[in-house]
Amino acid sequence: MSEVLARLDGIERRFGSVVALDGADLILRAGEVHGLLGANGAGKTTLLNVIGGMLRPDAGTIEVGGSVVSFQTPREAWTCGIALAHQHFALVPAQSVLENLALGLARGWADPVRDVRAKALKLMDRIGLRVPLDSRVDHLGVGDKQRLEILKALLKNPRVLVLDEPTAVLAPNEISGLFALLRELAAEGRAVVLVAHKLDEVLMVADRLTVLRAGRTVLSTVPGDYEIPDLVRAMVGADPVDAIAIGVDVEPRSTKREPGESVAHLDRVSVTGGPGVDLEEVSLHVYRGQVVGVAGVEGNGQRSLALLLAGRVSATRGSVTLPEGLGFIPQDRSTEGLIAAFDLTDNVALALHRVAAYQDGPWLRWSELTRHAETIHERFEVQATSTSVLAGSLSGGNQQRVVVGRELSIATDLLIAENPTRGLDVAAAAFVHDEIRRLVATGVGVVLVSTDLDEVLALSDRVFAMTRGRLLEVDEGQRSREGVGALMLGGAFAHA
Amino acid sequence: MAKDVRARVGVGVVAVGATALIGAVLLWWGGYDPQVAAGAMFRGSFGSWNTFASITLVRSVPLILTGLAVSLAFRAGVWNIGAEGQLYAGAIAAVWVGLRGATLPALILVPAVLMAATLGGAAWAMVPALMRLRLGIGEVITTILMNFVGIYLAAYMVHGPLQESRGVFPQTDRLVEAARLPILVPSTRLHLGFALALLLAAGLAVLLRRSTFGFQLRAVGASPEAARVAGRIRTGRVVLASFLVSGGIAGIAGGVEISGLTYALYEGLSPGWGYTAIAVALLGALDPIGVVVAGVFFGALQAGAGAMQREAGVPAAWVGVVEASVILTVLALARLRAVGRRGGS
Ligand SMILES: Nc1ncnc2c1ncn2[C@@H]1O[C@H](COP(=O)(O)OP(=O)(O)OP(=O)(O)O)[C@@H](O)[C@H]1O
Ligand SMILES: [Mg+2]
Repeated sequence: MSEVLARLDGIERRFGSVVALDGADLILRAGEVHGLLGANGAGKTTLLNVIGGMLRPDAGTIEVGGSVVSFQTPREAWTCGIALAHQHFALVPAQSVLENLALGLARGWADPVRDVRAKALKLMDRIGLRVPLDSRVDHLGVGDKQRLEILKALLKNPRVLVLDEPTAVLAPNEISGLFALLRELAAEGRAVVLVAHKLDEVLMVADRLTVLRAGRTVLSTVPGDYEIPDLVRAMVGADPVDAIAIGVDVEPRSTKREPGESVAHLDRVSVTGGPGVDLEEVSLHVYRGQVVGVAGVEGNGQRSLALLLAGRVSATRGSVTLPEGLGFIPQDRSTEGLIAAFDLTDNVALALHRVAAYQDGPWLRWSELTRHAETIHERFEVQATSTSVLAGSLSGGNQQRVVVGRELSIATDLLIAENPTRGLDVAAAAFVHDEIRRLVATGVGVVLVSTDLDEVLALSDRVFAMTRGRLLEVDEGQRSREGVGALMLGGAFAHA
Repeated sequence: MAKDVRARVGVGVVAVGATALIGAVLLWWGGYDPQVAAGAMFRGSFGSWNTFASITLVRSVPLILTGLAVSLAFRAGVWNIGAEGQLYAGAIAAVWVGLRGATLPALILVPAVLMAATLGGAAWAMVPALMRLRLGIGEVITTILMNFVGIYLAAYMVHGPLQESRGVFPQTDRLVEAARLPILVPSTRLHLGFALALLLAAGLAVLLRRSTFGFQLRAVGASPEAARVAGRIRTGRVVLASFLVSGGIAGIAGGVEISGLTYALYEGLSPGWGYTAIAVALLGALDPIGVVVAGVFFGALQAGAGAMQREAGVPAAWVGVVEASVILTVLALARLRAVGRRGGS
C-alpha cells in the first residue's frame, strides 16, 4: 500500500461541554482522494481544522510524514505541506482576490502580488475555476468566494490538500473540473481529503472513505464495498429516506401542481449595478402552490433576481409586486443569514422582530421569540445545547438549519430560497425538501434558485435558466440535467 | 448569559488588580512611597461618606454619561470618538437656554436646559453621521475633528457672545437658581445628575435588551450585512439614530455638569471626559451597568489623584498613566481570552 502522508489517531476535542471529536481516526495516503463523510455536527470540520493547525486536539496524535507533530499555528501545517480550503471561508473581505491569494505566501521583502498573478492565471486556466482577480472579496458572490478558497489552497502547492465542502455552490461542470484536478493531484502522489454531503459526488472521485459519527470514526473503507444506503446508515445510524438528497434516482417532476393566484409579480423589471450582470426586462409571475426553479451559472443575474424577489433590492425600472409573508434563505448563511456573535434566539428574532405578532409597542415579545426559536431548534434538530448558544459555534449544516427553519416559518405567502440545502446532510436535506413541498401544498409560492440542477428539477413545477441577465423558461421536453445544462451554458456569461 | 456576565466581571476585576499593581510599581519607580500614596488616594476617594458623595460620585457623573454615550455608539458599530465635542455643544446649548429662560420656574427651566443640552449634543453628532451616511467618510476622523470645533466654540462663546456681564473673566454668567439641578443628598455636592445618570443607564440597559430599536442597534453593530439581508433592517437609519442618541447623551453630560455643579460655562470645563469615556465604555464592556461601575471607578481614581497630589506630592498626571494602563490591561485581557478559546482550553 502506498505511503502514508498523514495519520490522525484517537483525536479528541471539546468545546466547553460539547464533545466535537471523541476518538476520530483518519489515514491519508499518497495518491488517494479520501472522502470524509458524516452527518451535520459529526465533527468533520473540527477534524480538518486539527489537521490544518487551526485547532489543537485535547488528546490523540497527529503524524505527518512519519513523525509526530503538534501544530501551534496554521503556518506550521503549511510548512508540512498541508493546505486547507475552509467550509466557512477564511478570506479577508476588504482585500482583493489577488491579495487574498498572496496572503501567507509573502516572504521577506519581496512583493508577493505580482508573482502570484501569473501563477493564479495559470492555475485558473488549468482547472477552469475562474475568479476576477482584482475584485474586492466582499463584493463577490458565494460561488466566487468558494472558487477563491479552493484556488488559495491549491496555490500553496500542498502535499496534503484538504477541502471542506467545496462543491455545495459550484456549477456541475465546475464540479467535474475540480474532480478531474483532484485525480491529477492524486496521481502526482499527493493526498486529498474531501468533505461533501452528496454521496454520488464523493463516490465519483474517492479512492477511500471515512465516516464520522458523533466525533468518532465508525467506518473506513473503499468505495464498492458498501452501497449508498449502507453508507448513509453508517453516517446517521438510521435508514435513508429521500433519494434526491442522496443524489440517486433523480427524476424531474412529472406531474405539475395546479397554479393558484399570482403571489408575486415582476413586470419588465431591470436592475442595474447589482452583483453579476444587470437584469434586463425580466417578467415573472409566481403562483401560489407552485415552485419556480431558477438554474444558472453565477454572475448571470440570478443573485439580483433573488434579492429583488425577496424585497432586498429595488428595481431600477419596471414594477415589482410582493406579498407580506415573505421568507428568504440567502446564499451565504454566515455573512447574510446569521449573526455569529448572536445566540439562536437573537438570530431567530433577526427575521421575526419586524412581524407585528412579536412586537408590543416599542418592545419585543422575547418570551414568544424564545418559544419560536425553541420550536425551530427542535423541529429542525439543530445540534445545540440550547437556544442561548452562539450561532457562530454551530457546525455549518446546523447553522443552515437555523436559517432554513426560521425562513420557512415566516414564509406564509412566498419563499425565496437560494441553495437551501447547502451544507445539509442527507437526512436534513430530505427533510427540508419535504418541508418545502408541504409549504407549497399550503398555497405558498416558492422560488428556488440553486446551482444544484437535481434539486431544481426535482422540486420545480416550472424551470427557468438565467443567462446574461435574462430569464428563459425551459420547455417540458428539455427538463433534464443535460437539457438545462446546455441552455445555461449556451448563453451564459462566465467572467474571464 | 450568566456566564458571559461572570466573564465580564472577571475581566474588570483582574484589570483593576493589574492596574493597582502597575500603579504601585510606577510610583515606586518615580521615588514615591506607594503605601502613602495609596492611603491618600483611598482617603480622597472613599475616605468618608462626604468625600465619596461630593468628590468621587460627582466626578463620576460626566464619566458615566459620556461612557454611556460612547458604549451605545460602539454597540451600533459607530466609532464615536466625539463625546468631548458633543459634551461642549450640550453645555453651550444648556447655558444659553438657562440664561435666556432665567425668569421661568424651575419645573420648566431645568427640563428645558437638559433638553437643550441633548439637542446640542445630537446636533454635534449629526454632522459626522451625515458625512458617513451621505459621503462615506469614516466617523473616527470626523468626530475627532468636531471635538476641536466644540472645544474652541465654547472658548469663543465665553470670550465673546456669552461672556459674563462684567466682561472680566472668560466665563458665562451664573445660572439662576431655577436653572440648577437640586442637590440629591443634603450637605454634599451630589446633585440630581447622578440619579439621572443611573436612570439613563438602567433605561439603556432595558432598551438594548428588550426593545426593537435596541435589538436593531445590536444587530447592525454585530453584522450590518446580516442585519440588512436577514433582518431587513434599514441600517442607515439605525446608524443615524445611534449617532443622535449617543451625541444626545454626551450633550446631557455637558448640560448636567453646568446645571448641577459649575452653574456656568468656562473654558476647559471638561478635563477630557469625552476621551476618558472611551476607557470607561471599554472597561464597562460596553454594557450600561458595566459603564456605571467603570464610571464610578474612574471617578474614584480622579478623586484619589487629587488627594494624592495634595497629601503625597504625586503629580496628578499620574492618573493619566493609570487610566492608559487600564485600557491596555483590558485590551490585553480580552485578547488573552480569545487566544485561550482557540488553543487547548
Ligand atoms: N468553536 C466552537 N465552539 C463550540 N462548539 C463548537 C465549535 N466548533 C464546533 N463546535 C461543535 O462541535 C460539533 C462538531 O462540529 P463540526 O463543525 O466539526 O461539524 P461538521 O461535521 O463539520 O458538520 P457540518 O456538516 O454541519 O459542517 C458541533 O456540535 C458543533 O456545535
Ligand atoms: Mg463542517
